Amino acid sequence: MTAPLLAHVGHWIVNLLYLVPLVIVVAMLGISSLRDRRAATAEAAAGGAPPPDADEPHPV
Amino acid sequence: MSRRRLLAALAVVAGILVAAPQSALAHGLVGRQDLPIPKWLFGWAATVVLVASFVGLAVLWPRPRLESPAERRTISVPRLLDGLCGAIGVAIFALLVYAGFAGSQTTTNNITPTFVFVIFWVGLAIVSMLFGDLFKAFNPWRAIARAVAAVASMGGRRTLPAPMPYPVALGRWPAAAGILAFAWVELVYSGRTDPSNLAVLMLAYAAVQLVGMSLYGIETWNRYGDAFGVYFGLFARMSPLRWERGALYRRLPLSGLTTLDPVPGTVALLCVMIGTTSFDGFSAGPSWGEIAPRMTDSLRSLGLAQATALEVAFTIGLVVVVAVIAGLFRLGITGMRGAAGAKEPTDALAARFAHTLVPIALAYVVAHYFSLLAYQGQAMFYLVSDPLGEGANIFGSAKTTIDYSWISATSIWYVQVAALVIGHVAGLILAHDRALIAFKDGRTATRSQYWMLAVMIAFTSLGLWLLSAANA
Repeated sequence: MTAPLLAHVGHWIVNLLYLVPLVIVVAMLGISSLRDRRAATAEAAAGGAPPPDADEPHPV
Repeated sequence: MSRRRLLAALAVVAGILVAAPQSALAHGLVGRQDLPIPKWLFGWAATVVLVASFVGLAVLWPRPRLESPAERRTISVPRLLDGLCGAIGVAIFALLVYAGFAGSQTTTNNITPTFVFVIFWVGLAIVSMLFGDLFKAFNPWRAIARAVAAVASMGGRRTLPAPMPYPVALGRWPAAAGILAFAWVELVYSGRTDPSNLAVLMLAYAAVQLVGMSLYGIETWNRYGDAFGVYFGLFARMSPLRWERGALYRRLPLSGLTTLDPVPGTVALLCVMIGTTSFDGFSAGPSWGEIAPRMTDSLRSLGLAQATALEVAFTIGLVVVVAVIAGLFRLGITGMRGAAGAKEPTDALAARFAHTLVPIALAYVVAHYFSLLAYQGQAMFYLVSDPLGEGANIFGSAKTTIDYSWISATSIWYVQVAALVIGHVAGLILAHDRALIAFKDGRTATRSQYWMLAVMIAFTSLGLWLLSAANA
């Protein structure tokens, strides 16, 4: 079963190339979500209210 | 991760992806359609466009612009035109049914299959997007119902009974079922090439519509129940033109979609529209070519005849692909809900963002059927002169043939790619615009759209993969 699969790798591997951009974007989304969640957890553990994002100017 | 950092990261990915096709261009790879780069690289380039559009929307589109569509009355249209268009629609319908029964039963010689599957199904979808809901004016069953209602109200001493209230739960489910049934006939039914079968189905469909309109009212049924009325009506909402009560209105393109009422069945209808077109592409590719015979053999071992087994296998494939499309959209909505911290149930949120699927549905139609329209559409020149395929030459064009050289396979590929990219960018714009009013602030709205971006990239990649597989 493995041999024919590998023998035809040139045929089906091209199909996987269509998935690459999606995988990259989803991976980035996953990483950013994970970081957001960790930051929120850390803030909660510290007991303070979540501060605004770093790039947001503080209200005067 | 802050918004700026994420946007910067997305821009970096966009840059990398832009660089990849350029390096490939240097190699001068030539495909079967004389393409300078392999087809999968078009998928990468499409992703770049989507990511760049997403970043552009996040930065340059801070307030909703489409949600309160302003319209301008452009010209008045004589009321008489409505009746005239309806009469033309009925005449065309009658001719197609007659040709289906009385004409040649060879598919390519009879006007009915080409008109239904090419001019009506594909051509009218594009016309609706450009010029508004013209089908409503030419809709034959609506015209018949209106004529009957007018005659009945003139001749009768008593007024006609009021229609029943349309059940809220029914929503656009009848339209979804109707489009699925049409797609089944087009892609699965073994008798689809027989013009007389098509004529029978046309009469059956018209009968169902007349019953629906008599029960729930002409306009209500037309808006929610008539599969083709709803189908073309959705595409017409993308148009900068709107025809209403003897006047033509002008508006921003796409803005008509923002007023789409999210009744039950709307998401299902759109998933059916995208899923059935996807299956059409998938079933023409090598993957289905390997799956279908195995499924057919398994079904035959259960005692089914070959033709029935093939139809059942294709029906399963059709339903599965529709379910995959629905699953992808659902996944995106679920992700959006989580990212935005929305309290709204996923179903309600999906309905609110359902209109973003309309340009994608049209993009899939154009991408998958443009070559059909470009080539087989020319058959109409000889079919109008000889609609029955019996040797007539009414307009002197019966001897014309299809010119396969007027547009190259390469140009068709570029049209297909452009349609997919433009359709998905339009979907992103609509989703972003809706998110700005659905969520509490611009930052949350942008964050919520990361998942819609993923869905759009998934649909674009899927569409290009299907096209490349079908053309392989």
